[in-house]
Amino acid sequence: MRVRKAGGTGPEGTGRAAAERDGRTASSRAPLLEVRDLAVEFRTAEGTVRAVDGLSYRVDAGRTLAVVGESGSGKSVSSLAVMGLLPDGARVSRGQVLLAGEDLLTLSRREHRDRCGDRVAMVFQDALAALNPVHTVGYQLTEALRARRGLSRRDAARRAVELLDLVRVPNARGRVKDHPHQFSGGMRQRVMIAIALAMDPDVLIADEPTTALDVTVQAQVLRLLAEIQAERRMGLVLITHDLGVVAGVADDVTVMYAGRVVERAPVRDTFRAPAHPYTRALLRSIPSAASGGPQGADARRPRLSVIPGRPPSPAALPAGCAFHPRCDLAGDLCRSERPPLTTALTTQPHDDASSYPRASACHFAAEVLASHDVPAAASGRPRPTGRRDARETEEPTDA
Amino acid sequence: MGRYVTRRVLQAVGTLLLVMFLLHLLTTVAIQLNGNPAQAFFGDKVASPAQLAAVEQRFGLDDPCFDRVGDPCLGPFAERLGQYARGDFGTNLRGREVSDIVAAAAPNTLRLFCVVLITWLTLGMVLGSVAARRRGSAGDHGIRLTSVLIDAFPVFVLLIVYRYVVAVPLHRWAEETFGEDSWPPYWFKPSFDPDHPWATVVVPGILLGLAGSAAFIRLVRAGQLESYQGDHVRTARSKGLAERHVVVHHVVRNSSVPVVTAVGLTFAEALGGAVITEGLMNIYGMGGVLWEAVRNDDVGLVLGIVTLLAAVTVVVMIVVDVAYAVLDPRIRYE
Repeated sequence: MRVRKAGGTGPEGTGRAAAERDGRTASSRAPLLEVRDLAVEFRTAEGTVRAVDGLSYRVDAGRTLAVVGESGSGKSVSSLAVMGLLPDGARVSRGQVLLAGEDLLTLSRREHRDRCGDRVAMVFQDALAALNPVHTVGYQLTEALRARRGLSRRDAARRAVELLDLVRVPNARGRVKDHPHQFSGGMRQRVMIAIALAMDPDVLIADEPTTALDVTVQAQVLRLLAEIQAERRMGLVLITHDLGVVAGVADDVTVMYAGRVVERAPVRDTFRAPAHPYTRALLRSIPSAASGGPQGADARRPRLSVIPGRPPSPAALPAGCAFHPRCDLAGDLCRSERPPLTTALTTQPHDDASSYPRASACHFAAEVLASHDVPAAASGRPRPTGRRDARETEEPTDA
Repeated sequence: MGRYVTRRVLQAVGTLLLVMFLLHLLTTVAIQLNGNPAQAFFGDKVASPAQLAAVEQRFGLDDPCFDRVGDPCLGPFAERLGQYARGDFGTNLRGREVSDIVAAAAPNTLRLFCVVLITWLTLGMVLGSVAARRRGSAGDHGIRLTSVLIDAFPVFVLLIVYRYVVAVPLHRWAEETFGEDSWPPYWFKPSFDPDHPWATVVVPGILLGLAGSAAFIRLVRAGQLESYQGDHVRTARSKGLAERHVVVHHVVRNSSVPVVTAVGLTFAEALGGAVITEGLMNIYGMGGVLWEAVRNDDVGLVLGIVTLLAAVTVVVMIVVDVAYAVLDPRIRYE
């Protein structure tokens, strides 16, 4: 492991090592959160199953990275691994999780969670299950502040109201004594976000934060996340299966399939011209609102398509490229040889120097890129329910 | 909350009335089929018709409905309810007030149950928590084996072994070691001593509690295992809280609802178990009194005590329900 050797030499050294590996200039500092070559294994009755295999990503302050994939692609498991919250029977078998240059995986589990509690917070998917039903919202908001930072009861009560105000829960003062079941779905997710913000984290990992919500509420919650992230200059890792969500809020996108990264790019490039057939298929399966654009979305967009077949079980991955059974471009090479994630794909220079160079794990990446299947006119805003639309939505009182 | 409690109390009163009526029906049928319990008053002696009639009148058995099989005897039932309402629970066959007997016997039963409850909670919470925390480990399997063993031993076997095999040598040893006037000899006294009601009730209470604790251990284990897998525990861990804090506030606290319910149910169930324990250890308690009353065909006393036990059970259930609502805030609004 060439990279790991450099990992011990402090932030400067790790930053350089990362830069070398990504083929970038050596001037960049250690990113806020960097995941390198992460692999997670589950012990099951049928043997060891690899749920995540070689995931790498980085998030810098003030930037949003979307990790996109279907259920079972390993996106949630990888974030649990970052937080040190893997369930029994799962373990990290390879890789590093660097928080400002410090490898969290070399720490004891207790220290790992301690660091994460201070600097990395997580917003979970199903707020009803993720909040404790028997404690008040106020208690759960300030639990860590009281237990770990020794806040007094009075200061904690004041802080709880501030946090609820921050996520715009109406009548915050009156609601801190309520229990989670007394909140509506959208409000509950706001409470979840407020809990994550309580310790003032540097990085926020949001695991499908809007999946359980109505579409209109989804937009509000996403907007709130994006605003808070921008205000506090946090790094945000947004885990989602919905590319439409990504378009509105993310800067960079990492697409996962069957535990591996298949494409990595700045979000605009991905939408302009995806470099992997899976990403392209995902983009085609996003429904567009009928009154989406001035010319009408339907005229420009081919018929809504589905990806044939199902994602493979991690226990029985196909040989070669894991996506080949569902891919319309698959050839003999795809069936026998797994394509590596290659980084030299950039066709047009983009203005944002800190974002990723494009990478795709496809033998035919150049062909996919060249095909320009998604019309250029739709680039950057393939689905009108993104950030732009959310801004215009008046927020109804959700009580 | 107030409305919730009111509703539960009304339900409880209804339940109690139903229990009393069923009891009445059962005893009525028993009298109608088996003949006059007034005979029991005279034991082996043969009573004259006049004496028998006097006894029948005294115990309210002179109503002609007791001679007609199938008659529900509503008249005497209403009469008894009226007496209960005035605080008159009747007398036993020897003319002693049932309320006096209960006043003497109930404190001993309560002492026994205090010990039993402490044993349950201690064993159940400690062993159940350890088993859940280290599930699949040798400790978990050991605890499961122990609880199965406890289950396989009926209470009376434990008590008989204790009383006839263990207690006497232990008692002698304690007397020799600590002196006759010290506490330890009383702990191991093989039978109840009214002058030292607490000391002589400890070991029988622990044994009775031990017998009930097996189900309790498994319940605590199952409840906590479920909590450990809950998403809210993962959320708590993501806050970087110490594991002890997570276990106390998110695992044990959340699994306390079924535990409290089980305490209530097992408590009510243990009223039956106490009959054996009190009988074997000569404890003058409710179980022992009930046992004697049944053996002596003392209908008035049986009715009085069973009614009282039913009332206690119903009250315990209300307390459990209210505790449930306090522990789980979702309950109140359903």
